[in-house]
Amino acid sequence: MIKISDLQKVYRTEEVETIALNKLTFDVKEGEFVAVMGPSGCGKSTLLNILGLLDDPDGGSFLFNGTEVAHFNERKRADLRKRNIGFVFQSFNLIDELTVFENVELPLIYLGVKGPERKQRVETVLDKMQIMHRRNHYPQQLSGGQQQRVAVARAVVNNPKLILADEPTGNLDSSNGNEVMQLLTDLNEQGTTIIMVTHSEHDSRYSHRIIRMLDGQTVTENILV
Amino acid sequence: MIRNYFKIAFRNLWRHRVFSFINILGLSVGMSACLLIYLYVSFELSYDRYHAKGDRIFRVVTNIKTPTDTLDWNSASIPMSPAMKKDFPEVEQFVRIEPNSLLVSRGETKFQEDKLAFADSSLFSVFTLPLVKGDPDKALAAPWQVVLTETSAKKYFGTAEPVGQTLYLTGSRLPATVTGVMKDFPDNSHFKYDILVSMTTWTQKINPGLDDQWEGFNGFAYVLLHDAKDAPGLKAKLPAFIDRHIGKDLQKAQMTFTLDLEPMKDIYLRSKRGAPESGSLPNITIFSLIAVFILLIASINFINLATARSAERAKEVGIRKVVGADRKQLTGQFLGESVLLCMISFLMAVGLCALLLPLFNQLSGKTISHGIFDHASTIGILLLIAITIGLFAGIYPALVLSGFRPIAVLKGSFSSGKKGILLRKGLVVSQFVISIALITGTLVVYSQLTFMRNQDLGFSKQQQLVINFDGDSTIWQHYEAFKQQLTSLPNALSATASSAIPGQGNPTAYSQLENHLGVMQPTNMELFSIDYDFIKQYGIQIVAGRPFSTGFPSDSTRAILVNEEAVSTLGYHSPQEIIGKKFSQWGRQGTIIGVVKNFHFRGLQNAIKPMDFRIRPRDFSFVTVKISGRDVQKTIAAAGDLWRRTLPNRPFAYYFADEEFNKLYRSEDQFGQLFLNFAILAIFISCLGLLGLASYSTLQRTKEIGIRKVLGSSVGGIVNLLSKDFLKLVWIAFLIASPLAYIGMHKWLQDFAYRIDMDWWIFAMAGMIAMLIALFTVSFHAVRSALANPTKSLRTE
Repeated sequence: MIKISDLQKVYRTEEVETIALNKLTFDVKEGEFVAVMGPSGCGKSTLLNILGLLDDPDGGSFLFNGTEVAHFNERKRADLRKRNIGFVFQSFNLIDELTVFENVELPLIYLGVKGPERKQRVETVLDKMQIMHRRNHYPQQLSGGQQQRVAVARAVVNNPKLILADEPTGNLDSSNGNEVMQLLTDLNEQGTTIIMVTHSEHDSRYSHRIIRMLDGQTVTENILV
Repeated sequence: MIRNYFKIAFRNLWRHRVFSFINILGLSVGMSACLLIYLYVSFELSYDRYHAKGDRIFRVVTNIKTPTDTLDWNSASIPMSPAMKKDFPEVEQFVRIEPNSLLVSRGETKFQEDKLAFADSSLFSVFTLPLVKGDPDKALAAPWQVVLTETSAKKYFGTAEPVGQTLYLTGSRLPATVTGVMKDFPDNSHFKYDILVSMTTWTQKINPGLDDQWEGFNGFAYVLLHDAKDAPGLKAKLPAFIDRHIGKDLQKAQMTFTLDLEPMKDIYLRSKRGAPESGSLPNITIFSLIAVFILLIASINFINLATARSAERAKEVGIRKVVGADRKQLTGQFLGESVLLCMISFLMAVGLCALLLPLFNQLSGKTISHGIFDHASTIGILLLIAITIGLFAGIYPALVLSGFRPIAVLKGSFSSGKKGILLRKGLVVSQFVISIALITGTLVVYSQLTFMRNQDLGFSKQQQLVINFDGDSTIWQHYEAFKQQLTSLPNALSATASSAIPGQGNPTAYSQLENHLGVMQPTNMELFSIDYDFIKQYGIQIVAGRPFSTGFPSDSTRAILVNEEAVSTLGYHSPQEIIGKKFSQWGRQGTIIGVVKNFHFRGLQNAIKPMDFRIRPRDFSFVTVKISGRDVQKTIAAAGDLWRRTLPNRPFAYYFADEEFNKLYRSEDQFGQLFLNFAILAIFISCLGLLGLASYSTLQRTKEIGIRKVLGSSVGGIVNLLSKDFLKLVWIAFLIASPLAYIGMHKWLQDFAYRIDMDWWIFAMAGMIAMLIALFTVSFHAVRSALANPTKSLRTE
């Protein structure tokens, strides 16, 4: 599904040049659950940006479902993103001004899904995440675990092929964390590919494969399954 | 999608109530100021545009050149326009209007009609001034015919039928028949009258022989051409026309007349010769600029606050991008929000305007509009403008916000728009440039007004009770006796009669005076006819010779007093030299017996011109009673009683000389007041923006403030820290605004013959005012955050 080779990303400020990704090469097959680990500053976030089509690399190749996307323009990237990729973040990143229902509905709106179908699909996914009773609440009125479930619901509502999770349990206690990991595992079992950046060895054990990064390069790959 | 945008927009506005309030308040106040100015300006521009044949109507005006000066008059003499019609096929029709003031009565109903005019019946066909009753061709054709406006018809006849009724002119002597009722003159007409009397009444009955008087200038003449394009050609033929008719007389008098044609639509705003009502193009330009500036200031607030708050919105932008929004959609959303805000402001502005309009009408001294909802198209245009402002003000924030890198934002490593800071500072500076320039302008306008009011006019205007008897022969024939009775009133000190009071217009008398070479030099003199007590009672100083005296019988027929200006115009070095020199003026010959010190017989807008005094009771129109100032009301009441006994037919009309003189500055007063109000608005809106920006920057620096306090900074130190940045901006604005204001106000002051110097303190004061207001605004937040407990701010990080 994803094949990157010699991927490069360099950040420049006036005085310093930071190499975030240094000829990174790996691939992820459809249906895989991959964890990316490594110390702070090793390039995990940059990688996630590029995989999520939020940023473009300075060099190398990025094949997404066999298409070269490394030099897509912003419009094309946004289009590909909204059809194929869901995001889950450490800090949930829900829009405070919107209710649970409206937050989950948002990707469908950008996809151009019609109202009645939107309602039905949002309700289905809220039901699955067991937060249907909270549909009219605002994010601030929910616990961390509930917020992350809303975030997961939002990530999956448009049935993406790929979910990118950035430390999804980082702000949660262990029981809520396990619940979210279980949700991701379930999704993966239903066929969704998942790439998860994490600091937690515990969480990484839910994955099939761990990619360890250092200074913008992969150092090891552990196959768990 | 749109619904989602609006939902977010509304919730955002509500969540950030303070910012929304500042934005909406600023914008709506700005927009309503603009709306009012727009109404005002379009009213001023609409003057005389209602005439269907307006493009072909021209006012005939005369330049009179004598060896000493040129008079640019707005009038033509009575025979001129009829002769033009006769001589030139280009001229389709002419109308003459001769303004006057007469006592008009119907039985016991009597009014002094100051807005009366004699006019040709062609008035109704040349101008678009419809008759409600009567035949437009005949209504003013014959002598002793009167046309009333609807308002004055009601005044005299109530609900009764006016046409065919009789009104008496000049009291009870001259009966005239009402032959028509016309619609009131439109508000935007440069001439407005309440009563029209047929021109033949004036030229054949009251002043027989006037039809051949080419050299008397009092009224106005308009010609209607077959084709407006003929005007230049016609103008070229006018010198020969004048020469043909009165060339010989003019040559003898060493005068030249040059006729000119002024397009009807230019008279109100562009004619330098003036009109019964005239506007000011510079003022309109100034107010239009102010409107644009105020709107600019309000829009700048909007841009500033929106970009300053971008960090708060950044997270939302990031999320929307991550879930699939592209940049175009986000731009659309933010533009939608700003348009929504502008629409809300617009609705409030329309409401505010509806409330303020009566006040504004009062302030501007005219009914610019009866209600803003009369102007559907105007409001439509303004709605479009509001949307445009929304788009303009929103485009920068929208582009900034939609350009965020989502992951950086969502991971919190986003530093709030450092790049926007310079722009924001630039915008704040420009706001304050405008505000400071307006404050400076206001100070200059008010200094000039104060100067004009307090300037020594060279005559005493205090405690002078002026009674207008409109030249009634009952008074001037027995004025000595009447004066005696007036001086015996309680608290009355003296009384004097005259043809005019300083501050009012005088006839300009074409005169010949002996100059320093011994030659009789033609000179235009403003002429006051007075009695023996006038000079003394009005405190006018004699610098050479002597005042009029009853001891010299020839004083009443063969003597004049001139002012110092006349002395220098005639080439004398000292006033003494002119004493005993000869004069010839309006049928009188004799000698100059004295020189008065220059005094301001016109407003300080005008330079002092040569003038003279003579004794001629026939010209008297006013009696002035000098009173002691004790129990003024009692004196007025007693004067009223005396009046009713002497002149039962005439209403008692009085005023005080100083009040009347200050009325000369009414339009400057109104200008000043409008200027002041808009300057206050501008600074208010600027400060709203500053308040928002300051509160925001204080919020952002909460952590810094916490650390500084922990390290031992005092409250004063923190306030200083937070205020310094903003005050620096005001200071820069001051440096830019001062020269701009100087240039602008220097130009404005040129309209005044006597004017103030713009002292440095005016600029310094404007700067200080702006600085203080800014300091006050900024420190409001600075003090609050400086006093806050530092541990609180640090813990939240």
